[in-house]
Amino acid sequence: MKEQGNGKSTVQALISKYFIFIIFLAVVIVLTILKPSFIKPSNLVNILKQVSINGILSFGMMFVIVAGGFDMSVGSTIALSGVIAAMLGRGQVPLIVPLLAAMVVGLLVGVVNGIGVSVGDIPPFIMTLGTMTGVRGLALLASHGKPITGIAAEYKAIAASSVLGIPTLAICLIIVAIICSFVLEKTVYGRRVYACGGNVLAARAAGINTNGMKISTFAIAGLLAGLCGFLMTSRVTIGQPTAAESYEMDAIAACVIGGVSMSGGVGKPLGVVIGALLITVIANGLDILGVSPHWQKVVKGLIIVVAVLIDVKGKSKKD
Amino acid sequence: MKRTKKLLALLMSGVLAVAMLTGCGSSPSEPDAGTPDNSGTPETETATPNEGASGGYKIALIQQHQTNAFQIAVSDAAAAKAKELGVDLTILSSDQDAATQISQIEQCVSEEYDAILFEPVDPDALGAASAAAAEAGVIVINIISACTDWESYGISALSCGDNVTAGETEMQHIADLLGGKGNIAILTGPSGDSGGLQRMQGYENILANYPDMVQVVEPADCQWDTASAQSTVESWLSAYDLDAIICENDGMAVGAGNAAGANSGIFIAGVDGTPDGFEAINDGRITGTVSQDGGAMAANGIEAAVTLLSGGTLENNTIITTNVWIDASNVADYE
Repeated sequence: MKEQGNGKSTVQALISKYFIFIIFLAVVIVLTILKPSFIKPSNLVNILKQVSINGILSFGMMFVIVAGGFDMSVGSTIALSGVIAAMLGRGQVPLIVPLLAAMVVGLLVGVVNGIGVSVGDIPPFIMTLGTMTGVRGLALLASHGKPITGIAAEYKAIAASSVLGIPTLAICLIIVAIICSFVLEKTVYGRRVYACGGNVLAARAAGINTNGMKISTFAIAGLLAGLCGFLMTSRVTIGQPTAAESYEMDAIAACVIGGVSMSGGVGKPLGVVIGALLITVIANGLDILGVSPHWQKVVKGLIIVVAVLIDVKGKSKKD
Repeated sequence: MKRTKKLLALLMSGVLAVAMLTGCGSSPSEPDAGTPDNSGTPETETATPNEGASGGYKIALIQQHQTNAFQIAVSDAAAAKAKELGVDLTILSSDQDAATQISQIEQCVSEEYDAILFEPVDPDALGAASAAAAEAGVIVINIISACTDWESYGISALSCGDNVTAGETEMQHIADLLGGKGNIAILTGPSGDSGGLQRMQGYENILANYPDMVQVVEPADCQWDTASAQSTVESWLSAYDLDAIICENDGMAVGAGNAAGANSGIFIAGVDGTPDGFEAINDGRITGTVSQDGGAMAANGIEAAVTLLSGGTLENNTIITTNVWIDASNVADYE
């Protein structure tokens, strides 16, 4: 009897572990049947382009959430760094300057978040709600409320180009994904990120500088948001202060769907990739089917809730 | 320990505040109109009355928001007109929130403004606030778009473009370019936005004459957003053979143009006539746009307010700003 029980829970554990892959495959199959052009190479390239910015943002978000935090400010950070990249990207200086400037701006916002949360003891939601609002204001101030136009042709070309058929944007995501997976899974730093989110007191007792860890995870999220800002400006060919409104929500959704626990300490990089892909594939598929974007929101909402439900049920089974 | 934490928290907010101030201070010559968080108490604009015009009227302009090129053109033109007429102008932004706009109107009444110009955030939510202001003796004028049944709420004048005509102009040019035949798709602003609905009405008026122009996919709501329009059109282009994409604003047209690429052979049009649209017309990503001269609408509104305040009457209490089709042939005149 006991063995049978174990067998059952193993099956359940397997299902909950691979649930999101199963859902993802099911969505892909259903969309292909409904609209065969979904699986055309040109559309797969679209999906890669469309997933990249949210995917990169989601990896930053993953660091923060795994370490037990939460970041609402990344969407605004994309807008601010994107505007600044656009202002510097009109051909007056080499492209590396706007890239670095965007990433430094993102990093600064992240460090401010991290210091507020760790040293200032402000709850992450409140701290990043504050920077979300303030940074959006800075983006509007920096651009005087209008889109920055006139960015250089070679800057626009980054997002439009591809290498061996793979869009440059997607290559950026792949590089970020590889680096983040390596850091989280193969380094001491990565293990400490998980430790901080799992049990912060135990981590502190074990001699980990938990404040430093928190600041560093927010800094990574900010840095990657800055990179997204640089890429966003290249993709839409203007620097928009209103860009990336509620992108933080899509990044959080990608993490949650991918099995990153909101209570910290748990989550696999591959899950985040699938989470981000699933969100993009749904939007892309429903666009192709000509379904109203309002339905996309309903479907996305349902998947988030179901993903967490499975996550919670899976956990309570383990206990 | 706790005290140091508190101190640090204070310090942090100080740093943020300083960062914001330096953001403001970067261009002291600019009016404060770009400040997004001025939704509270009205602050007096830098557009001070001309010397000698000490009896300048005190007028408030409440914008729907101040976060795109169209709205900034409205602020700039209003400030310039106020300076010209020696009017003491205050510009506020409602940040797309009807409740904020109502509070701002109430506040302007209690601070004894002579006239209030506003673009309603919602056509149906601002009637009562307008009526109360008019009752208190303030001249109330709608700009850009109107409250439903505006005259019955004591609103004295309406200075606007004609969104239906703008939609008609845009679709007519696309119809001419297509020879009245082809696959088309439409990108819209947020559902329920009155300007967007009127533009859609304009599209439908023209499409009724062209049975061979077929909408192969339902109109998509892309929230006026460039990135969102870009993703939607990329997806569409892998599934549909489109000859034209008609967009309710320039931001979305630019997104559609980015997805299709320069000189794609697909006719793409927008509405607004903003710099991002002009740039895309110049490099062949979009075909054309219908200008909505928001600046002229605001300036005409201020003129109307001054006329009424100085005891004059208006020839017509609806002041229409005409719209113009802009494409590669005449874009240079508007940049």
